[in-house]
Amino acid sequence: MLYISLKALHIIAVIIWIGGTLVLAVIMTAVPNVDRAENAGWHSFLKVVRHWDERITTPAMVLVWILGLSLAFEGGWFGQPWLMIKLTLVVALSGLHGVLSGGLRRMVLDQNNIPKMSRYAASAIIAAVCAIVSLVTVKPF
Amino acid sequence: MLKDVEDTRAPREQITQIRRMRAISCVEGATLVVLVGVAVPLKHLASLPMATAIMGPIHGVAFMLYAWMLSQTLYAFEWSRSETIWMVVAAFIPFGGFVSERVLARRQNALVGS
Repeated sequence: MLYISLKALHIIAVIIWIGGTLVLAVIMTAVPNVDRAENAGWHSFLKVVRHWDERITTPAMVLVWILGLSLAFEGGWFGQPWLMIKLTLVVALSGLHGVLSGGLRRMVLDQNNIPKMSRYAASAIIAAVCAIVSLVTVKPF
Repeated sequence: MLKDVEDTRAPREQITQIRRMRAISCVEGATLVVLVGVAVPLKHLASLPMATAIMGPIHGVAFMLYAWMLSQTLYAFEWSRSETIWMVVAAFIPFGGFVSERVLARRQNALVGS
């Protein structure tokens, strides 16, 4: 029962975290193409996104780590290759979220300081999620 | 006017972020020292694998938080390459977190003084 409850909470937290990170990736790649002089509400919009990132997405990410490690501990999977690869991908995704979140903060502080962001950020997130879900469901090795 | 407000807000935000980074540097450093200095010897010398099973995930969460906050800070405030490399390397060295904390404290003092 404990395992199932942890798993349900873990999946909910993952959906919130990945959803929030994808929103950041799409916004950051769209920013250079937005005419900020024509869009007066753009700065307010970025502030709202930043607020959401701080209050919802980031706590969900921390919850993902804690619940994920608890699940791995409960299942006795530490040391298995599939889990090590999955953890590496989670570290990379967390780093990418940090970069996107930092870039958003930089833009909120100074609208003219637009960070360079790869247009493949959102695709990289989706590819990492596909690999993580495949690894955790199939547990191939 | 708006630019003036932003000019004062950016260093203030950076100071707040550095304070948080100093705290997490200490936590990351302390958990690594406990893991390597206490839990690993207990596992191998006293046959207590539970020690690393508990401390491993705790340090894992602390390390993830440090890595996440570091990437956010470096990208938000455009730190130099040498500072970036040092902060990343410090996460993997026992006591490195404490040295980072001192480096961050100096940076915080410089920002407060400016």
